[in-house]
Amino acid sequence: MNPSSLTPTQLAAGQIALAAVLAVDGFALLVPRPRGRRVAAGVASLLAAVAVFAAWVYKTFGDPMPDLIGTVLFYLFSGSALLFGTVLVTQANPGRGAIAFAFVILSTCGLFLLLAAPFLMAATVIIYAGAIIVTFLFVLMLSHAGGPSDENNRSREPLLGSLAGFAFTGLILFTLYVSDAGLKPVAAGEAPKPAQRLPAQVLTPDERAAVLSAVEKLDAVETQLPGDGPVADRGAVRDHFDAVRDQIGAVVGSDARSRDGSLPARLEKVPTQPGGKVAPLRGDQQSARVLKRAAEVRRLNETAHDAVSSHLLDGKPDRPTVKAELHKLRDEVLLLAGSGDLPARNVSNLGYLLYTDHLLAVELAGTLLLVATIGAIAIAQRKGAAA
Amino acid sequence: MITLWHYLAVAAALFGIGLVGFLTRRNMITMFLCAEMMFQGVAINFAAFGRYHGNLQGQAFVLFIIAVAACEAGIALALFLTLYRRGRSLDASDWQALREAGVPPVIDTEPLPTEVTVPDDLLAPAGVRPKTAPTEEPANV
Repeated sequence: MNPSSLTPTQLAAGQIALAAVLAVDGFALLVPRPRGRRVAAGVASLLAAVAVFAAWVYKTFGDPMPDLIGTVLFYLFSGSALLFGTVLVTQANPGRGAIAFAFVILSTCGLFLLLAAPFLMAATVIIYAGAIIVTFLFVLMLSHAGGPSDENNRSREPLLGSLAGFAFTGLILFTLYVSDAGLKPVAAGEAPKPAQRLPAQVLTPDERAAVLSAVEKLDAVETQLPGDGPVADRGAVRDHFDAVRDQIGAVVGSDARSRDGSLPARLEKVPTQPGGKVAPLRGDQQSARVLKRAAEVRRLNETAHDAVSSHLLDGKPDRPTVKAELHKLRDEVLLLAGSGDLPARNVSNLGYLLYTDHLLAVELAGTLLLVATIGAIAIAQRKGAAA
Repeated sequence: MITLWHYLAVAAALFGIGLVGFLTRRNMITMFLCAEMMFQGVAINFAAFGRYHGNLQGQAFVLFIIAVAACEAGIALALFLTLYRRGRSLDASDWQALREAGVPPVIDTEPLPTEVTVPDDLLAPAGVRPKTAPTEEPANV
């Protein structure tokens, strides 16, 4: 069969299936058992699976990645989570398995941090630190010291078990690939579809850099407008504030209807008929807040520029008014630069959400914990032992 | 650019590896850790979807997952303790008498590898070396 005659979807299915089969082979060879465990072949097979998968990822996301640090951290954390998960499954010694599990937890915490969930990261570290120590305690207490044993050196159905796990994973990956329009290669003459990006990018890094440099220029207002009296070099001052206005306007737009800013162009739907209502493209609160703030910045931008023109360059200079307007604009632009980033006050917002929307669930979880405590004591209690 | 897809893929892979471990391993503590790893995969899914929709509902759900995982850990370790008292082993296959009717039993045919003990060359000649290692009493829990 000619590989070039396959459709991209078939090729993706083939690559995912190949990676899954290699992973099944690797895990089947690596899980502990008395005979036939071949570590070198298993590791080689797993590496081949990773290579096939990485080749597919590179082919699908071959475009240069703008957010380099975030990308590197993501691959670092997810790679180490999967690596130590593999060690946990394939390691015969349960104590070493528990150490590998600790690293899985730490890597997951890194992913939580990348997902703007600092409270979850802290909670997971605290809770699982205790859980892992208790697990260690049990391993030390209950494992037979030294020597191979049935529970550690034998596996149930290594091949079928690995097949079940990786058939599941492969099918999920393939479903994700098919369902996400942004992942598919674009055929000739067809417009590329947007990927399902995480809304961390309400404000792109370029836009953030642009508004931050505008803030720097606004901070330089003292050097631009020294002393009292009429402005000496009107042309230079006018150029300076025109540049600031254009720089901010390139991001938020110069007026509400023309939609020439990059932010409204990306986040707002074009009205179908002239004069129609402008609707946001995304329903999430973050983008709604950023759009509201952008509208405020747009208004202040015009006001400040008018103030510069009317109070400073024409007629009698009124510096305090102009400076107050520029400071107001500067503060609002700085807030715009920071919005859409990691949510500030994650802990208080999460607590507010838990105790307003999910109060009943919190009560139920507490009850569940109480019942589990009683149950654990009841189960572990020795019959006839002193209470 | 890291998209929602990346996080879902990592979560699926973590869940799959945990599933493999849960299905193949026989040590109950390792099986328990693999189940916890599957929980982590699901938690990443929730946090990523919460991030995708720009709200905190996903993170709130992860907190409940952690609460349920804590309950599960308590009950599971209590059960392991009880089972260990009865069978003196953490091997889940010791309890295969509980399997469904008509399912053939698992019989381990291959002998376990025997450990070769290497004589210690570094032991000082004056030291008295016991002929046999002292037999250890099983822990009385």
